[in-house]
Amino acid sequence: MTTTEPTVSLDQPTVVEAPKVQQSGVPREGIKPKRASVLEVWRSMPLTVKFSTVWLILVFGGAIYAKVDTTIFDGALPLQDPNAQTNGFSAATGEFGDGEPLEKPSADHWLGTDAIARDTFSRIVHGGWVSLIVASVAAGFGVIFGGFLGALVGFVRGRTEAVIMSAIDVILAFPALILLLAMVSIFRVRDLLIISLVIGFLSIPAYTRVARATSLAISQREFVLAARAIGTKPGTILRREVIPNVLPVVLSYAMVAAAFVIVVEGSLSFLGLSVQLPTSTWGNMINLARADIKVDVMQAVYPSLALVITVLSLNQVGDWFQKRASHRASAL
Amino acid sequence: MNKQGLLKLLALLFSMGLIAAACGGSDDGDTGATDTTEAEAEEAATDDTVAEAGTEAEGDNDTEIVPSEGERAYGGSIAVGLEAEAVGLRPWEDTCSSPCYNMMITIYDKLIEQTVDGEYEGWLLESIEPSEDFMSWVGVLRPGVTFHNGTELTAQTIADMFIVQQTGAASAGQISSANLADVQATGDLEVTYTLSQANSAFPAFLARAPIGMVFDPALATEDPDGYANAPVGTGPFVVESRDLDNETVVVRNENYWGTDPEGNQLPFLDQISFRPIPDEGTRLDALLSGTVNAFQTLRQGTIRDARAAVEEGADVTLLEFQGNNTGGGHFNVLVPPFDDKRVRNGLVHLNPQDQVIEALGGTGISLPATQWFSPDSPWYSEKVAEAWPKFDFNRGVELITEYVNDPARSDGKAVGEPISFEQSCPPDPTLIAATQVIIEVYEQTGGLIEAEVTNYDQQTHINYALGAENGFVGEHGAHCWRWSSEDDPSVNLNPALAPPTAEIAELAGIPGVVSPLNFANWFDGESFQAAVGATQTDDFAARYALYETIMLRIAEETPIWYSGHTATAIGTDANILGLNGWHLPSGSIGVGFPNAEGRWAEVWLG
Repeated sequence: MTTTEPTVSLDQPTVVEAPKVQQSGVPREGIKPKRASVLEVWRSMPLTVKFSTVWLILVFGGAIYAKVDTTIFDGALPLQDPNAQTNGFSAATGEFGDGEPLEKPSADHWLGTDAIARDTFSRIVHGGWVSLIVASVAAGFGVIFGGFLGALVGFVRGRTEAVIMSAIDVILAFPALILLLAMVSIFRVRDLLIISLVIGFLSIPAYTRVARATSLAISQREFVLAARAIGTKPGTILRREVIPNVLPVVLSYAMVAAAFVIVVEGSLSFLGLSVQLPTSTWGNMINLARADIKVDVMQAVYPSLALVITVLSLNQVGDWFQKRASHRASAL
Repeated sequence: MNKQGLLKLLALLFSMGLIAAACGGSDDGDTGATDTTEAEAEEAATDDTVAEAGTEAEGDNDTEIVPSEGERAYGGSIAVGLEAEAVGLRPWEDTCSSPCYNMMITIYDKLIEQTVDGEYEGWLLESIEPSEDFMSWVGVLRPGVTFHNGTELTAQTIADMFIVQQTGAASAGQISSANLADVQATGDLEVTYTLSQANSAFPAFLARAPIGMVFDPALATEDPDGYANAPVGTGPFVVESRDLDNETVVVRNENYWGTDPEGNQLPFLDQISFRPIPDEGTRLDALLSGTVNAFQTLRQGTIRDARAAVEEGADVTLLEFQGNNTGGGHFNVLVPPFDDKRVRNGLVHLNPQDQVIEALGGTGISLPATQWFSPDSPWYSEKVAEAWPKFDFNRGVELITEYVNDPARSDGKAVGEPISFEQSCPPDPTLIAATQVIIEVYEQTGGLIEAEVTNYDQQTHINYALGAENGFVGEHGAHCWRWSSEDDPSVNLNPALAPPTAEIAELAGIPGVVSPLNFANWFDGESFQAAVGATQTDDFAARYALYETIMLRIAEETPIWYSGHTATAIGTDANILGLNGWHLPSGSIGVGFPNAEGRWAEVWLG
């Protein structure tokens, strides 16, 4: 990767825009930066990151498939109803089913059945949806608001920084899990989107700090100083120079933060305080299975594995992207 | 791949390998599952430690209550794992359930105790006699009893206790339910209880913690907050230390007045350490691993696991008890749509009781309930069992449909719109499973019912039902609950049937008679009159008929629904003896260990 210093001629009028550097440090006008293809990115990944990426695609792809199955195809796609109790009453037949709770894995039930005879595999696949939504909404919220605030205060400094960072510190002082527990207990909130937004709101300080640190560093770089020197408006510098260079760092942090958010949601579910039952989540599956852990430990292990590997994968991929982003930043 | 990447991959695979190895350990668990099923099939009848006694009810595995054999020995200490911590140990103030009771009974004596036959006999009271009209009772205290601080117990102590109890959070309601109006010391050891209404079952109230346990009223008045964690009673043990949420240690009361039938000074143990271990599995494991020497449980799933452990050779004695206490839930009948009998009745018909019990882990352990009395209770009625609405999907749908299509439906919704309500249980996994079994049946009704399932912690759950902030109407809809006990039926039924709000009491012509403990808010004049009538006579046949009338009214009006009777157990190391078959001062054998509440004074290490 080559580093190209932005060139500014003293003869140029002061309204000249600073050169774009977010693409491998190459100015917009001039040699077009070479974007790495998906295949090149894939090849450059270590094996663990490749494995993690595949896992995340499977889990979240499966969750989307499950959601499409229930909302569009009314359960017609080949995946069992996650809430159907195989020993439950059927209005159609007027009889109870002949399934058993805690069945061992079989061709019909790949991971067996839970304490009330529901297909565990299907519940794990559907459970991924809640994790996906919580992680996406919270990360999106954090990236947009936290990322912008951090980039802004790192660039403008002064009173704005003092006021915003004080507010951020106040939010940071909230014990997130306890606040969530209080919210769902007192206000009886069970809506997935609202829970996600609250988790996202509580994530803002972390994103802000990460973005601010990067923004502080970027704001002292030569190309930003040069842009200031030639009189580019601060808003333009922020939009064209700072934010584009802060964004990769914040996005890669978002993956690591998403892992944390999934664990928080899992904790809420485990405590019975997340989305409304019988919606499956990995946390409420673990909670339900612990009552029978001496009889069938696997029913607790399967959702735990899904949670652990997903969190591990997000960390792996997030770390890798963070490393990539820092290489790019140092190459600017 | 570079070396670092290889190491990371190896680490990832290694961690997955560890998880897989942990899963491999489930082979034992799987075997355990088979064993458990087999054990249930055999109903554990072959195991000496799970003796059969409940011959009246098939499937009732109550341990026979008989005194332990062997020579009594002094000394030793044990640790007991409890399902929860007791926030405070003040009988008049702190609401006390099973785990708390295990602690309190070591510190406090009660005025009256229950025998194995369900009769009430004196404990600190040597005798108690009613007036002819049951409007007053005269009790005579045992002489020579002193508190842990050396203060002598006199009749004036009991009279002074009443002043504190009248405003106590736990005792005030009991005083009202017992119709207790005044307590006077009419001699050094003679106490006269004056009632506002006749109560033939009054001694039953003196066998309960809130007004039956004896405390030092002077100390309680002086420092009520301090008393919560430094309680003083006349009981067999003295509190040595109390580290909330960790450990409460009680040590032998050297000056205890009690003896066993052979004249041995009680207690036998030097020390008991009570440790709250809320997680059911962990608590059982603590016993099996030797971390504690005894544990108590009210969960069928845990009893199932404990039975399996005994089958597999664990050196544990399991004392099982299943009595009148029953699980299920109540509807808030002051809130639409539960104010309509068709909805309540329909939902009860949609309750798949056997599947619910299975989800609770109670198959082969917990008997399906149809009333507030278990089949081996003298108050049990076959007629009520027949009358209770059984699972009948079509009938349930028919009743709900009738309500949904009624233009005058009480919830104000348009004709054809589904009924909607909140169905709530504490976040225990077995309760969550049981709720989902019911919800799945609702789903089969073709959109007639929209139930929002919620779980709140135990205290929030209780507060919603109590509804102290909205005139005791409560903020609940369909709410998981438990009812009944081994006490006299009046102890539980009278407060549960009295008017729930001042307005209802006014309308019923009994202003001022209000019970916050009527959690379903169901007031039925006929049932309330029957409950009152049953406290005005001591004739068993007459009382039986009145309680049967109440239970039939409940079966007809269905303000509540049932799952199964609550199976409870205390498990101990096999060398812990004397918990079964303890004695009253008269020599009668005591009630045993109902609701996993042990009496620890006669316990010794064999």
